[in-house]
Amino acid sequence: MKILAIDTSCDETAAAVTEGTKVLSNIIWSQASLHAKFGGIYPSLAKRQHEERIDFVIEKALKSAFPKITNHQSLITNHITAIAVTIGPGLAIALEVGIKKAKELAKKYNKPLIAVNHVEGHTLSVLARSRNSKFQITNYKFPALAFVASGGTTQLILVKEVGVYEIIAQTSDDALGEALDKAARMLGLGYPGGAILEKMARLAKAPAERAHLHDVSSRQAHYNLPVPMIGQENKFKFSYSGLKTAFYKLIELTKKKGLGKQQIYDLAASFQDKAFQHVERMIKKTIEEYPVKEFWFGGGVSANIELRKRIRNICKNQGITMRLPYSKKLCTDNAAMIGVVAYFKAQRKEFVKDFEKIERVPRAKIIDASP
Amino acid sequence: MPTETVYIAAVDATNERAVKKLVKYKNRPFGKPFSVGTTGLEMMKKHVEMNEAAENLYKTFYPGPITIVCQGKHKVSPGIESEIGTLGIFVTDHKLTIDVIKKLGKPITTTSANSSYKPRPFKISNLFKYLSKKQKAYIDLVIDVGEIPFHEASTVIDTTLDDPAVLRQGEIKLKNKVEVLSRSEEATQNTGKELWQKYEKHQGQRAIVFALVGPMGAGKTVFTKGLAKAMGVKEEVVSPTYDLELDYRLPTTNYKLIHIDAWRMSSDSELAELDFAKKITDKSVIAVEWADRVAEEIRKHNEEAIIVWVKIKYLPRRLRLAESRLRRAKGRSRAKAGKDNDRLISWGVI
Repeated sequence: MKILAIDTSCDETAAAVTEGTKVLSNIIWSQASLHAKFGGIYPSLAKRQHEERIDFVIEKALKSAFPKITNHQSLITNHITAIAVTIGPGLAIALEVGIKKAKELAKKYNKPLIAVNHVEGHTLSVLARSRNSKFQITNYKFPALAFVASGGTTQLILVKEVGVYEIIAQTSDDALGEALDKAARMLGLGYPGGAILEKMARLAKAPAERAHLHDVSSRQAHYNLPVPMIGQENKFKFSYSGLKTAFYKLIELTKKKGLGKQQIYDLAASFQDKAFQHVERMIKKTIEEYPVKEFWFGGGVSANIELRKRIRNICKNQGITMRLPYSKKLCTDNAAMIGVVAYFKAQRKEFVKDFEKIERVPRAKIIDASP
Repeated sequence: MPTETVYIAAVDATNERAVKKLVKYKNRPFGKPFSVGTTGLEMMKKHVEMNEAAENLYKTFYPGPITIVCQGKHKVSPGIESEIGTLGIFVTDHKLTIDVIKKLGKPITTTSANSSYKPRPFKISNLFKYLSKKQKAYIDLVIDVGEIPFHEASTVIDTTLDDPAVLRQGEIKLKNKVEVLSRSEEATQNTGKELWQKYEKHQGQRAIVFALVGPMGAGKTVFTKGLAKAMGVKEEVVSPTYDLELDYRLPTTNYKLIHIDAWRMSSDSELAELDFAKKITDKSVIAVEWADRVAEEIRKHNEEAIIVWVKIKYLPRRLRLAESRLRRAKGRSRAKAGKDNDRLISWGVI
């Protein structure tokens, strides 16, 4: 069963072809090259840009999924079983573009249509496997705890089985990815700068009094910043606004003493350390309350090596299997993960019954995705 | 023709044909009201019900560029009064304007001569630059007195509400700007709640925009959380930076709280792309973070919406120290003095 999946939930225009959990192609039109032009501010211009790009991205996804087939006209007719599309959460005018296109294709080629929740996409992205892999991941055990952390989402989700979820904790203000991006921006590293922040943090200098600490990044945290919600983990909430405020002030203060390269490295490491300590504490607390067999980590922030390391440590100590998306492209917003979700939905025969009734759901929740 | 603030497009406000022509000239959707100019109290009373607030405003500010919105008596042409029958009366002591109205014996429209959303004209050449051939053809007479020295647009005040609302702040500044000191997230949230209680009565009559300005981490989202709670939103309000826009339905009414973040926007057009104009006509309640980035687009709706500019800034250190010293002198607790959470929140309808 081959699925053509489309995702236009926010900035990225993405299309992919999947077969079961296997990713045949995964095309993302990244706006990365545009950032510099706007002085580091990430332009949305969401609707227009998605409209301009979507046909190109879909065509590219089809072509790279079937490199040997030259008759492109009949590609969908002969090789695609169903069309899948993200209906939310995301920006309404952006979602609309993908939905319209998916509907159009499903009607034109008379294919079933599958509506997918974007956060469920990130959750199941760890089950995707590459085109060349011989083995399907079938040995996963439930319940699993999924941590989806990106620019728009920070959620701990209890996965009772594929399709049955419970949200354990979510952010009460900024998403983790957003907080990292904003910290980078405050340090003048551009936007979105979460990835650059991580690189800078690696260059931090360890102050003598922390050199004995086992954990590298904690050791490198030069500056004092508060760990969010410390001691209040039982509220099951993430919060990054307080840390952001403290960081803004810390930068203002450091500027007066001179903000050089080394200071930027040290500031970056300090921010990351506290932001991640918050995550670690929340995960530990959740595992305490909800014994799980596996830990799944998806979303853009799952590309962060330091956070992976810290979570891996927790999982090791608890004897829990940790799963990550197999490539960086599956961490950030993409359509292959939408195809993977759609595969499970198709097995449960969850197709859109009336094409005219499929609607964008800008504030869709993963629990609504449960059958 | 010129007035003291701007060149206006003047037609006989009681002549339906002339008003229709004006709507076409201005490129304006029908139903958006026009304010009219009169010679004084006598002519005003002929066309509107003047309540106490209106009389007081007239007494206080006449002569001066001010537009007072009152309940109309429906004696002007359709299309002049608003959908709910209110009429904006422009009061002026500009000699030429007064002479023209006196000679005509009826009120004239005093809308600025530019077409909708184009710059306000201070000289005729500037006006003509933005007019189409078709628009130019509607003009019968131009009175050109050269460049009008800069004055701010007239202040527009709606007196039909219990508490007169400044719809546009011009040269006459009404002192309704207030500020508070916030020492905690709770206090910032409470300011959001208080401001909602202050402006709640306009809900359903006009769009209400809370334009939030302040540096990173100042508490713009926290303010919106308080606003949402006061409005009865049950869901958790989170930062809309990534999604650009998050909507919250209100349990009791059909209205929505729309939470927008302009931080990632590079120009005003991006706010327009989110159908901002429709949100205004839908009479939504809108909170816009980083509103200074898209101020031009927000100000376009000055006349239709109530726009509350809320500025949050970190209190300068020196001021904080002075305050804590004062507190110490008064023998109060020092525990909270000079804490990093001090912010000054000020607001006004500017």
